[in-house]
Amino acid sequence: MFKKIRVQDAVGETLSHDITEIRPGEFKGAAFRKGHTVCDEDICHLQKLGKNHLYLINLEKDEIHENQAAAILAKGLAGPGITWKDDPKEGKICLYAKTDGLLVVDKANLAAFNMVDEVMCASLHSYTLVKKGQQVAATRAIPLVMNRTPVERAASIAQQNGGTVFVHPLKNSKIGIVITGNEVFNGLIDDKFAPILNKKIVELGSTVSGIAFAPDDESLIQQAIEKHIDNGCDLILLSGGMSVDPDDVTRKGIQKAGASEMHYGAAALPGAMFMVAYIGGIPILGVPACGLHHKVTVLDLILPRVLIGEHIGKKELAFLGHGGLCMDCPECVHPHCPFGKGM
Amino acid sequence: MESFEALLEESAKTHGHLCPGQVVGVRMAMLGCRLIDLDNPKSREQIKKLLVYVEMDRCTADAVAYVTGVKLGRRSLKFMDYGIMAATFVNLDTDKSFRIISTEESRDLSDIYAPEVAQKSQRQLLAYKRMPDSVLFRVQKVNVNISKYDLPGPTKQKITCSQCGQVIRDGREIEKNAQTLCKPCSGNCYFSHAMEISWPGMNWSPVDEKNGNSQPGLKKGIALNNPL
Repeated sequence: MFKKIRVQDAVGETLSHDITEIRPGEFKGAAFRKGHTVCDEDICHLQKLGKNHLYLINLEKDEIHENQAAAILAKGLAGPGITWKDDPKEGKICLYAKTDGLLVVDKANLAAFNMVDEVMCASLHSYTLVKKGQQVAATRAIPLVMNRTPVERAASIAQQNGGTVFVHPLKNSKIGIVITGNEVFNGLIDDKFAPILNKKIVELGSTVSGIAFAPDDESLIQQAIEKHIDNGCDLILLSGGMSVDPDDVTRKGIQKAGASEMHYGAAALPGAMFMVAYIGGIPILGVPACGLHHKVTVLDLILPRVLIGEHIGKKELAFLGHGGLCMDCPECVHPHCPFGKGM
Repeated sequence: MESFEALLEESAKTHGHLCPGQVVGVRMAMLGCRLIDLDNPKSREQIKKLLVYVEMDRCTADAVAYVTGVKLGRRSLKFMDYGIMAATFVNLDTDKSFRIISTEESRDLSDIYAPEVAQKSQRQLLAYKRMPDSVLFRVQKVNVNISKYDLPGPTKQKITCSQCGQVIRDGREIEKNAQTLCKPCSGNCYFSHAMEISWPGMNWSPVDEKNGNSQPGLKKGIALNNPL
């Protein structure tokens, strides 16, 4: 229950919520925190903040304060890899990455959570690479006082599947590369692919255990893959030969090597001719030639997901479509752009 | 209780088709029974413990009735014409009563729970299977004031309409101008202009079937016309 009092009558009373001060371009934060006892000197400051009245709150049975609500919500939302403090500011609790890794948001959970009245959570896009300590989401109860039941229901929805927001650390994988193509194998041109792939792999915290070169021969490509597997690679990247020309036999080589599952074609540009296959549980990624030209391709969207152990199938490649068109900007600002974020 | 999929399959057969409302109804009934501690509502031991009030006459109502086994004729199924996708499950033994409301947001959320399905009804159907109960439903603990005249069992009272002589069962009579009336005579009625008629073949009985005579109108392949 609320009681409204004039601010000049509030001396000695305890503030029931944080009072925000905004000085444009300079400061936004709590000028007064919940629990502060109003004194004479505060009156003028409060009036400057536009506060001529204050609420005194007497919580009824089944009612909770926004700060309590925010803590219940944060606990429901936070999955593994997320940390948060039960110290709401202005009714809001921020969720942070506990480790470096890939942010994964259960979007169905998040949408269902936000459909509950008077609660909210906003997050970064799912599959954003984040650093330890980085804010990834924030939640709050919107009114100052809420009934406990909808808050608990929202938290329960958020906790379905173990949480709504997760940060998964990227595995330190041992990755084998196979560069295919007669033109490179026979020395007609220098390979430019391996350094590009190597850089991307190292930036994600994995290591390249070996680079093999193979001509456009499905048996030799098969052998190169098998050699990487024998050497203990837990992920293999193949470049080139993913297109539709007669010489493009990389897919056949992957098949001959015993792929049990093959998904050719991704709803992303650049990267339509991308391939994901699995040999005995080891992911095999076929990178089309666009990876040579474009700074960011479908590989940059999928590789981090593979490195957190996500199984990539037809659905995952198909769902890239919305937002999967690179704008090909003169100066690439990825990941600060919409590419790959519409899933 | 049988598995969700088994209940859904049989419920859809009974209802006539599989639709999103069937999924909601089966799940609503499963949750309702769970909340009032009935694990096999159709069993002899439990069937008399259960009352269900459905607030809609849609596909969902049939699924609720199928899963719980409640029936209008047993007086275990009550239709409250509210136009709300909700049902209340009452355990007559314990007085535990819960009202389960199908959430409106679940319709909007089907796009995100089953984005791979293009056709709207099929998308809803799959999404409603995937959503947790907490998304699909809201639940209220309620008190249901049940009149003795609404309980299952023998007729508790019979009164005769002082205007038309019709027998009125279980307290449905209306007191009006110091008269005890049936609802039609009271004017509070769903039909009007009632007029008694005679009709072709009005002396038919099932005994005639044994003698090779099916219903008169059907035998001749003509509709039973209103003689008036």
